[in-house]
Amino acid sequence: MLDPLSRQLEQYMTLLSVRQKLVSSNIANADTPDYRTKDIDFESEFREYLTNPLKSAPNVTDVNGLRVKPDGNNVDLDREARLLSENAIRFSVASNLLRGQIKDIRLAISGGGTNS
Amino acid sequence: MSLFNSLSVSASGMTAERQRAEVLVSNIANAETTRTATGGPYKRQDVVFEAQDVTSPFSSIFDAQMTSQGAGVGISQIITDQGTGDRRYMPGHPDADKDGYVTFPKVNPAEDMVDLLGASRSYEANVSAISAVKDMIQRSIDLFK
Repeated sequence: MLDPLSRQLEQYMTLLSVRQKLVSSNIANADTPDYRTKDIDFESEFREYLTNPLKSAPNVTDVNGLRVKPDGNNVDLDREARLLSENAIRFSVASNLLRGQIKDIRLAISGGGTNS
Repeated sequence: MSLFNSLSVSASGMTAERQRAEVLVSNIANAETTRTATGGPYKRQDVVFEAQDVTSPFSSIFDAQMTSQGAGVGISQIITDQGTGDRRYMPGHPDADKDGYVTFPKVNPAEDMVDLLGASRSYEANVSAISAVKDMIQRSIDLFK
């Protein structure tokens, strides 16, 4: 991308979308017998992404400490709902920051004349 | 792209919940059915969910390798409850046996209604997931503006 900061933002957004997919998957499987909640360790994965940008797919693990229902399923819809909105908000913050970066570069290109 | 794949995952959840609701509604509708094509009273049915991989229409093999472990949901089988229901003494009924008893389906409408509520809530949860992801996609598109 444009500079190191935008690259980091881009990776942050990529990782958020990976996590959002896992949340969607947990919600879709809320009634599937023997399904276990899946998630990634966001912080450590992100740190690893920053040091090693070519890292392949993040590690997906089962989440411990959730109540297992009698059918062997441990999806907690409240937890998933929280993560769903949290991810959307984080994504929105990152995309706004990235938009600011792009705007600055546009401004530089246009010589600061017209701000469009 | 991972975000579009999430849409497929939630859509599979919606499909599965809708089919579950259809089966439950059919149980409630047939709570008093004493005659079926296969003979005998109606038999209660239930769906069994199973985690399944989803395929997004535009995903390439490369995508499938890079973006991992997004499991959708599907119906693995529909089981039929083989138990027999109540026998009620109704001698005038055309399906009464020689002692005057009619066998009714083993359907408990209360149980199916509660299940139906669960299916409806799960469907809504999938819809919320789709709108959250749709919002994220829209924000990515807005970067072009």
